[in-house]
Amino acid sequence: MAVLHRALFTWFNLLIFLILLVLRLDHRIQWNWFIVFIPMWLYDNILLVYIAFHMILSCKNTHERAVSIRRTVWYMIAVLIKLSAQILVCLKLETLQWTLPAKAVLAPFWALFAAFSVDVFLNLVRYSRY
Amino acid sequence: MIFSLNELVSWLGLTVFEIWINLVSLTIFTILLALKLDEIYFVESSGWWIVFSPLFIADALNTYFCAIIFIRMHMEGMMKVGILRTLWSMVTLLLLFVFKYLLCKKLAGPSNLDYSEVLSPVFILLQLIAIRACQLH
Repeated sequence: MAVLHRALFTWFNLLIFLILLVLRLDHRIQWNWFIVFIPMWLYDNILLVYIAFHMILSCKNTHERAVSIRRTVWYMIAVLIKLSAQILVCLKLETLQWTLPAKAVLAPFWALFAAFSVDVFLNLVRYSRY
Repeated sequence: MIFSLNELVSWLGLTVFEIWINLVSLTIFTILLALKLDEIYFVESSGWWIVFSPLFIADALNTYFCAIIFIRMHMEGMMKVGILRTLWSMVTLLLLFVFKYLLCKKLAGPSNLDYSEVLSPVFILLQLIAIRACQLH
């Protein structure tokens, strides 16, 4: 996929999700939170397929195989953490009687943001690109 | 992931340093948010401003960084590119700041604003980002 297609696909999913989110928060619709998050589920699943496809391609490619596979595995884990975080948020919002602690719900986000911060920082230091 | 860091930089018009600042501030924000939601700290309604403070600090740092880049570009004679870059950064920062401010105000106390009004800066920003996406090669 060209970068334009990927960008527009991401943009469209985000737009639909934000519209549904606003409608739900303003009580214009009373849908289940798992339905409101459908654009995100769709996006994450396509992302997983895209990463898996890249992983297969990098397995075939003998040049810098180990680095490339390590990178795609990290991306796969990041998407799975994002998925689990979204499921926890939906559960917290939908099942109020469960009283899930916010710490448990937001813990995947801490891991994700902290890992991305380290990754971007290493990139910043390694290539000295500001 | 779906985008490389270079693609993100050229699409969003942010530098790697700005992305890093935003990520660090988001990490701190989510930790403070969990403490607030579990009612461990910042129990009073004004506590929302403390929870949102990392995001406001990140905005201030990014504004300072953009100002420095503009001054350096001006000194190197890249006036037109510098103005366009600073304009885009300032519009992005302003829209995101307004969104965070309105959200914090809504959460902190009685507010007549709907969430559709609170998120309106984000929707404007999304339109601008869509235009930038069409310029990608």
